[in-house]
Amino acid sequence: MAEFGQFAITGVTVGMVYALIALGFVLIWKSSGVANLTLGQLVLVFSWFTYGMLVQAGFPVWLGMPLVVLFAVGVGWLVERIALRPLIGQPILSLITVTLGVAFFIEGMVSFIWPKSVAALPRLFPDEPVHVGAAVVSQEYLWAAVISVVLFVLLTLFFKRHRMGIVMRAVADDQMAVQACGIPVAQIFSRSWMFACALAAVGGVLMSSIGGITFGLVETGLKAFSVVILGGLDSFLGAIVAGPIIGLAENVGGGYLTPLTWPGVREIIPFVIIVIVMFIRPHGLFGERRIERI
Amino acid sequence: MLELSNVEVSYLGVIRVLHGVSLRVDDGQIVALLGANGAGKSTTLKAISGLLRSEEGEVTGGSIEWRGQKITNRNAEEVGKLGIIQALEGRRVFEHLNTEENLLVGAYQRRDRSAVRDDLEMVYQYFPSLKELRRNTAGYLSGGEQQMLVVGRAIMASPQLLMLDEPSLGLAPMMVEEIYGIIRRFSREHETSVLLVEQNVRVALGIADYGYVMENGRIVLDGSADFLKHNEDVREFYMGLSATGTRKSYREVKHYKRRKRWL
Repeated sequence: MAEFGQFAITGVTVGMVYALIALGFVLIWKSSGVANLTLGQLVLVFSWFTYGMLVQAGFPVWLGMPLVVLFAVGVGWLVERIALRPLIGQPILSLITVTLGVAFFIEGMVSFIWPKSVAALPRLFPDEPVHVGAAVVSQEYLWAAVISVVLFVLLTLFFKRHRMGIVMRAVADDQMAVQACGIPVAQIFSRSWMFACALAAVGGVLMSSIGGITFGLVETGLKAFSVVILGGLDSFLGAIVAGPIIGLAENVGGGYLTPLTWPGVREIIPFVIIVIVMFIRPHGLFGERRIERI
Repeated sequence: MLELSNVEVSYLGVIRVLHGVSLRVDDGQIVALLGANGAGKSTTLKAISGLLRSEEGEVTGGSIEWRGQKITNRNAEEVGKLGIIQALEGRRVFEHLNTEENLLVGAYQRRDRSAVRDDLEMVYQYFPSLKELRRNTAGYLSGGEQQMLVVGRAIMASPQLLMLDEPSLGLAPMMVEEIYGIIRRFSREHETSVLLVEQNVRVALGIADYGYVMENGRIVLDGSADFLKHNEDVREFYMGLSATGTRKSYREVKHYKRRKRWL
């Protein structure tokens, strides 16, 4: 039982971080219909940038973290401005392909600037573990869960109450009608990329404070992708619900299956889930039922 | 005052759809742009509001002036800032937003919060049924309510020139009367110019001061609303009435078509 509790808590908290990153995907998908395939690489570069700030430049956390978020927002602005804006009005597939190009570019830049393949962040959270029932959990996990929940609440409020959030949802419904109201839609796209990158940065820091910085972080992006497919590409709620489900399946399933099968089986579980979901509910748990082709 | 002189529009650089359209909307005036499907009415509106671009269209000749300022080929955002707001054809509400959120999107570009709140109350006064539905998802409203919402959303932008594309489309006659009543009232109360695209000629001329008739990308006839209402061609081809004002009897129609006078 203790073992199960351990797997479950780890799964849910990691899943929440996936969900956080997935929210960035949903945000861009909703406002512009572009599938952002750069997520994993963004998580990677922001984690390395955090390493650069906290370890290489030696900044304290209170200074380093805001700089990381600022950098992320800047990257989001730049990607939208340079790679995507010139393609507005072109077939959506070109835009999606461009995000893939950006992904490879970022990956190249990362191995150019930080040739080391592995690094560890300094401890951001106190290191004595917490006992939850019989399970022992290190504080990183709990903080990751708390930060994710806080960000969910803030984002939900933003989309429900703030003018910009409401307009972002409107853009998702009908771009041209938003333009007809005299609203600069390109600016809204730009903002949603900035937001998505900030989320990827927070997600990256949380992931790498748990597991260190490796190229494996790129897979986090893929897992966020499986979260949105399970939850529905256009549903924030879907991402929030599906994140912990994927995390749970990965950790509980992986925890029990690894001794029986082979190491690394946990990595494929999210993708098996994607395949099953695509068969049964192609639009995801909470997605709108309509025909979308990527 | 809005003035179009000799405006030509092409899509994709090759398909010419407007062949020199000239028209004028004076301040505070309601002007109707009438014509059949494909005449170029919606394209004319989009040429003014700057929405042509997202459809790969472009004004290739002539000029569009708003209060002495040239706005030819400006983008929708800049035109919107000048107070020219278009409500698109076909009840395009933001389906997943509720009524009030839809209205607030209309006011997004305005900075003065208290004025926005006043205008929200004003729209609810114009359309009391929207107030009752303020928390309802717009996608589930009835057709008439959605059209009210689209007009209300455009009003929320505090327009100087309101351009409406077929607000009567697919609505019951009662609903059409109500919406048109509000459009006239708003225009009179705020001295807002209205450029109205319609196929429902009778209702449009009911509130308009002046009207233009378009055909095949050209203005073929214009005049005051009274003049148009009594014009034989308009009556026959757009209102389905014969010269004597009675409904046309198809028994008397010969197998040849009467030519329109302007062709």
